[in-house]
Amino acid sequence: MSDKKRFSYDTDREIYSAAKVRALEALLIEKGVISDKTVDKVLDFFETKMGPFNGARIVARAWVDPEFKKRLLKDATTAIAELDLPAGMAGAEGEHIKVAENRPGVHNVIICTLCSCYPWPTLGLPPYWFKDPTFRARMAREPRAVLKEFGVDLDPSVEIKLWDSSAQIRWMVLPERPAGTDNMSEAELAALLTPEAMMGVAKVAA
Amino acid sequence: MKLQHHLGGIENLGPVDFQKRVFVAPWEERIFGIHVAMMGLSNHLASALPKYPISEVPTRFESFWTWGHLRTGAEAMNPFDYFKFRYYEKWLGGISGFFVEEGYVTEEELDAKTAEYLADGNVDEAPLPKGGSPAIDSQVIRYLLEGDSPKREVPDKPRFKVGDKVTIKDVPPEAHTRCPGHLRGRAGVISEVYEGAYAYFFSTGPDGIGEPMPCYSVAFEPAEIWGPKLSDQKSTFYADLFEVYIEAA
Repeated sequence: MSDKKRFSYDTDREIYSAAKVRALEALLIEKGVISDKTVDKVLDFFETKMGPFNGARIVARAWVDPEFKKRLLKDATTAIAELDLPAGMAGAEGEHIKVAENRPGVHNVIICTLCSCYPWPTLGLPPYWFKDPTFRARMAREPRAVLKEFGVDLDPSVEIKLWDSSAQIRWMVLPERPAGTDNMSEAELAALLTPEAMMGVAKVAA
Repeated sequence: MKLQHHLGGIENLGPVDFQKRVFVAPWEERIFGIHVAMMGLSNHLASALPKYPISEVPTRFESFWTWGHLRTGAEAMNPFDYFKFRYYEKWLGGISGFFVEEGYVTEEELDAKTAEYLADGNVDEAPLPKGGSPAIDSQVIRYLLEGDSPKREVPDKPRFKVGDKVTIKDVPPEAHTRCPGHLRGRAGVISEVYEGAYAYFFSTGPDGIGEPMPCYSVAFEPAEIWGPKLSDQKSTFYADLFEVYIEAA
């Protein structure tokens, strides 16, 4: 293949992909591989059942209940099962979860240099930046610089721990509880959390 | 050597696009949903944990399809294309290619149907055909709820313990690996021995994973991986690694 062809983009790349995936889904329905509702049901499941709203509740509980936090850090899968969350917290891509705790002087970041492993039940689906080869390549070697680009300017004394999910554990970060939140309810605390904070590329703001 | 196995640490890539959306075009959701359906209908689920009654599900899908298959496809791409195409563009290429290769659809059918939708114009809203049993959807959702755990209880004792100094092997390059290129040949210390043993979806051949084996968290000093000049000294790189990739230092 010539370089000219390799680097040329179809001007109608988006509309072509949209039509092709529509065609594929239509053919799979016609041929009895999936139903006309399969894809919508999968998407709805991630909208309503498996999403970062679960991780937010887990973190908020760990902030208000030190005993729960201990159990979460020791055996996340079992601790998460204690909470009143939707069924499936140990389901697909959440079979074996571990939690890394941020604390003064230690900042954790999750990465997947080989692909995009992510704890679906607790965090939902990964944002684009996490799947981007540029992020995966750079965060591995220059975490402090990438964090700064993302708006997290760590003191040079803070140790960064990177967790590369190259086997079968799916990781999430327990961020530090922000100051000035002593009077907040667990639900109010959960509302402060973002996927980025639970991945280690954002601090939680009160 | 495949560039996709050696992404960690590449220089001169420029800033990261801090795009927080999961899908950046509406069509991307559809290929994601198709991939999840394939995983939830895969024939291997009959002998998975839990065992699913997959032969009773009224689908024409009869193949073995897992993350391992999707990853193998991504790792087989021309590396320049790998960087050129967006995440779900790669999925669309790999998954549509799979359905053609496996004979579920022909290339001509796919091209003709694509042309129909293109001619229709408003592609994302264009109607889909009706059909298919709700039992298909129930199985796919059940897979999401109950998962496909790779963990197995095996009598083999882990070869390494916390604190052991180890080196990561440079296993033969194969179609698929879970041994990151930037760790090959590097020395680290076992920081955690995970309980039980972990299988992979299929054998990766001389690469070595597939059958249940212990897994570890291995800690690396960044200077050991990248050299002192290019690394952030105040950091630790932890990688989850299958035992076959590790040898005593």
